[in-house]
Amino acid sequence: MFLFNYRYRLKCIFKDRQLIFWTFMFPILLATLFNLAFANLSSSDNFKKVNVAVVQNGELDQNPAFIQALDGADNLFVVKYTTQDEAAVLLSDHDIDGYITFDPDLNLVVNQSGLNQTIIRGFLDDFKQSSATIITIITQNPSALDNGILEGISSRTEYLKAVSANQSNPDPVVNYFYTLIAMTCLYGGFLGVKEVVAIQADLSDVGARINLAPTNKLTVFLASIMAATTVQLLELLILLAFIIGVLGISFGDQLGYIALTCAVGSLTGVTFGTCIAAIIKKGEGLKIGILIGSTMIMCFLAGMMSADIKYTVMTKAPILGYLNPANLITDSFYALYYYNTHTQFFTDILLLCGFTLLFSSVTYFVLRRQKYASL
Amino acid sequence: MVINVKNLVKRYGNLIALDHFNLEVQEGEILGLLGPNGSGKTTAINCILSLLKYDKGTIEIYDQPMSPEAYAIKRNIGVVMQNVAVFNELTVYENIDYFCGLYVSDKQTRKKLVAEAIDFVGLNDFKKFYPKKLSGGLLRRLNIACGIAHKPKLIILDEPTVAVDPQSRNNILEGIMELNRQGATIIYTSHYMEEIEQICSRIAIMDKGKIIAMGTNEDLKKMIKSGEHINLELLNPEELELSEIKSLPHVISAELTDHQLVVKSSRGKNNLIMILDHLKDQNIGIGKIYSEPPTLNDVFLEITGKELRD
Repeated sequence: MFLFNYRYRLKCIFKDRQLIFWTFMFPILLATLFNLAFANLSSSDNFKKVNVAVVQNGELDQNPAFIQALDGADNLFVVKYTTQDEAAVLLSDHDIDGYITFDPDLNLVVNQSGLNQTIIRGFLDDFKQSSATIITIITQNPSALDNGILEGISSRTEYLKAVSANQSNPDPVVNYFYTLIAMTCLYGGFLGVKEVVAIQADLSDVGARINLAPTNKLTVFLASIMAATTVQLLELLILLAFIIGVLGISFGDQLGYIALTCAVGSLTGVTFGTCIAAIIKKGEGLKIGILIGSTMIMCFLAGMMSADIKYTVMTKAPILGYLNPANLITDSFYALYYYNTHTQFFTDILLLCGFTLLFSSVTYFVLRRQKYASL
Repeated sequence: MVINVKNLVKRYGNLIALDHFNLEVQEGEILGLLGPNGSGKTTAINCILSLLKYDKGTIEIYDQPMSPEAYAIKRNIGVVMQNVAVFNELTVYENIDYFCGLYVSDKQTRKKLVAEAIDFVGLNDFKKFYPKKLSGGLLRRLNIACGIAHKPKLIILDEPTVAVDPQSRNNILEGIMELNRQGATIIYTSHYMEEIEQICSRIAIMDKGKIIAMGTNEDLKKMIKSGEHINLELLNPEELELSEIKSLPHVISAELTDHQLVVKSSRGKNNLIMILDHLKDQNIGIGKIYSEPPTLNDVFLEITGKELRD
């Protein structure tokens, strides 16, 4: 009986085009749109060299050390040697971010403030400081030059080092795709609503017919939920393959745990739908409306529309993050991608299992009723 | 006894939907539950089937108390709902197979039963059609097939011909009689008295949650005073003294509208001849004449004071 119902429920779900659109095609479309919208977000973070002009005059010729230092900073600057007038024109045309001139002191001319101007300023300050130090040493302790002190002055040491926990490259846009997966998981609620409506005599005529049959309603329902979860998981894995394989978004390399998150997320989504369908006594339209509304709010709080929201929630009201299944699914992926331990991941998974148990229990207590007050 | 319902009471808040409803259904009969919309027919059926909670009373089917877990009883019941209850995502064949499968687990047996049901309702050419592609009449036939495919001993049909064209309606009614001939006991609810009269061996008339009259078609008509309706077209109605017609033996009422005289008489012999003799004596010419026996509507009208289709 279980397999018989399971097979027919699979058929019913797969042939419901509207349902398949919202639970499968829509997330794929959204992922594609996300990819288009965020395509330049990562590349905009790539450093672009600062255009700077240096006025050629006699003072510059007397400071070969500066030209040498500038040449050494070729990863920072695109340098153009020019006349004073031409430099002024280049600056006014915004072809350069500033120009450097010796008259006789080292000066920077800019026409606006900004990151690039600050970089040039920083370079000049560093050069001035190093020059002053060297001059001081030469005048006060020239013997120190023989001890290689110059190498020490010109070298820089980084005391902080960025380390990726799992060899994945940090990517600022992945969280949007994580929330998209979370949304898709919770859209499994559509399937849950469909299955409850199909089995309740007071919600549908086929439900009444099923209730008249000599079969245990909960057995039929269990088969329905398993069918819904199967479809949801399948859709989710295809979506995941699309996001990773076609769109090139990285989810890290822990595929087993990713699949586990998808499975638990699917079950949470489907049972979320069954719970809503069971406790909301009005029409199917209202149930779907509440499902979509609550899913979108949860995804919003998980950072789907703006990553800042997620940060705000986690700093101002962290409990809200733990009570939000969409956030827990997002965080599970996040934890797999960024952390080198699984503590956070399993915390999220356990909380999701808790939600699944809660939703299932509520659904069970409503559905176990065998007779209805009205039809 | 197939069904025995005693003192069933069902309330929706202050509204009493079933008011000490009693019903006995014998094996092999077609029992018609006739009543206007809202009289409690569907509520009674849903209570009997243990879909609805009720406040008071007892329900036994095949001498066993009926409950949602009474699977042995349910196995013998087939229900054709008032609304078409099928899955739009499944074909005609799949729908019948699915609902039959809830009763019959053996695949080979089910295959045979489904084929027979499809044959019975004449949907052989539509096996692979989806419900959305079927006309109203064909949908109703599918609905019936889904309810009877497992060959139940008791079939309950709740207004199965609502919104069905006359031809499909006749097919459905013939099918129901055939099921009865094959041995099924049938309960048929409708607010169409013609259908009930046509197929039912016994009729229960319902109003306000109660059975107000029960018996065969003839029994019910004998319960009322009204015998026949005589309609006469008068050629010179101005000559007629209506009070003289009303004073004739067995005449209950007489109404003259334009040239049309309608006389309702109680049961008795030679009513029509007496009226014709009287009109002849008054030199009143007569055009068309026809006489109708009383209908179930007359029964309902006389008992409740209102029309069945009000």
